[in-house]
Amino acid sequence: MKEELVKIEELIRSFDDIDKSDIKGLMQRFFTKLSNRLENYVGDYPTFIEPVYLEDNVKIGDDVLLGPNVYIGANSLIQDYVEISNTIIFDNVKIGQNFKLENCIVAKDSSFNFKNLNIKSSVLIGAANSKDELQSIKF
Amino acid sequence: MSDKEDKTIIRIKEIESINLARDDIRDEVIETKKAVERDNDLLANKVHQSFIDNNIKSFDIVGAIGAGKTALLEKITEKLSSQYRILVICGDITTRVDADRIEKHNAETIQINTGRECALNAYHIHKIIKNKDLKNYDVVFIENVGNLICPSDFILGTDKRLIVVSTTEGEWVVEKHPMLFKMSDIAVINKFDLKERLGTDVDKMISDAKKINPKIEVITTSAKTGENIEKLMNLMGL
Repeated sequence: MKEELVKIEELIRSFDDIDKSDIKGLMQRFFTKLSNRLENYVGDYPTFIEPVYLEDNVKIGDDVLLGPNVYIGANSLIQDYVEISNTIIFDNVKIGQNFKLENCIVAKDSSFNFKNLNIKSSVLIGAANSKDELQSIKF
Repeated sequence: MSDKEDKTIIRIKEIESINLARDDIRDEVIETKKAVERDNDLLANKVHQSFIDNNIKSFDIVGAIGAGKTALLEKITEKLSSQYRILVICGDITTRVDADRIEKHNAETIQINTGRECALNAYHIHKIIKNKDLKNYDVVFIENVGNLICPSDFILGTDKRLIVVSTTEGEWVVEKHPMLFKMSDIAVINKFDLKERLGTDVDKMISDAKKINPKIEVITTSAKTGENIEKLMNLMGL
């Protein structure tokens, strides 16, 4: 599982030149190996559809639905009314309120400081204070 | 979305009953509730069609905590897993206790932890089957969150719904929860082995179920002794 994660992180590092076919295959392989880890989050009983793997100190808001196939890196913040499936979120990420992410990858240290986003099959990266500022690439 | 709209939506989400809605948003709450029910039904139909297209027999099992839903599923999967490829979706507020119990009988399991929600809905099931190759399964069991109230709000798109009650819940449990009996195809009265010791009036439970839903099949079982499990499987067409 960690092996694919490292490869995916490596792939999205070259943001403007991502090999899209590689991403799909790697994500699929990663999700078939994904196990459950729900012990160390901070928050009040979100909805989980397994498999969901949470690294340490993930903060989760109210009315959140995670899964199936969700990996969230350490110290990330998932705010209220968020829904995430088939998605990899790396460490130290901030997801805004009422975001809906399906089949996405969110790069390390990304921070989205706005509400209401519905996005599929995309790599998201960087800091954004509005939808217009969002850096994303479809795959 | 404006801040005002945003606040209204959050307020609607927080209101569990229309009676609690302020006059100025009452219409909106009613329309939202109707839309949610409509969307659930549409999605449930889609789920059911996917099961039919893949020749899968599907069952939604509802009942109170401790009625014996998991114990019955353990017995059934134990008997069926050599001839059928089985997927069991388990709904619980939290933990993986039920899925772990059933998995021991060679069935694949997926746990849904609903957190604060008191029933599974068609969206949960749709999310799961979207990610599964349904050609790999012959039977899908969905064990709903343990209670006799909320699951009546949401159909899941299965062929049949089973409601499980037990002699330990007392003979009034059926007449106190008519809605789920109306919406179920088979009523299972479990822990029949304890009937004498508890003095529960099982005949009343059976006649109440029939009164509420004349079409419902009623069967008494004991997951502990195995009594009538084969008969239940026949009723389910397994």
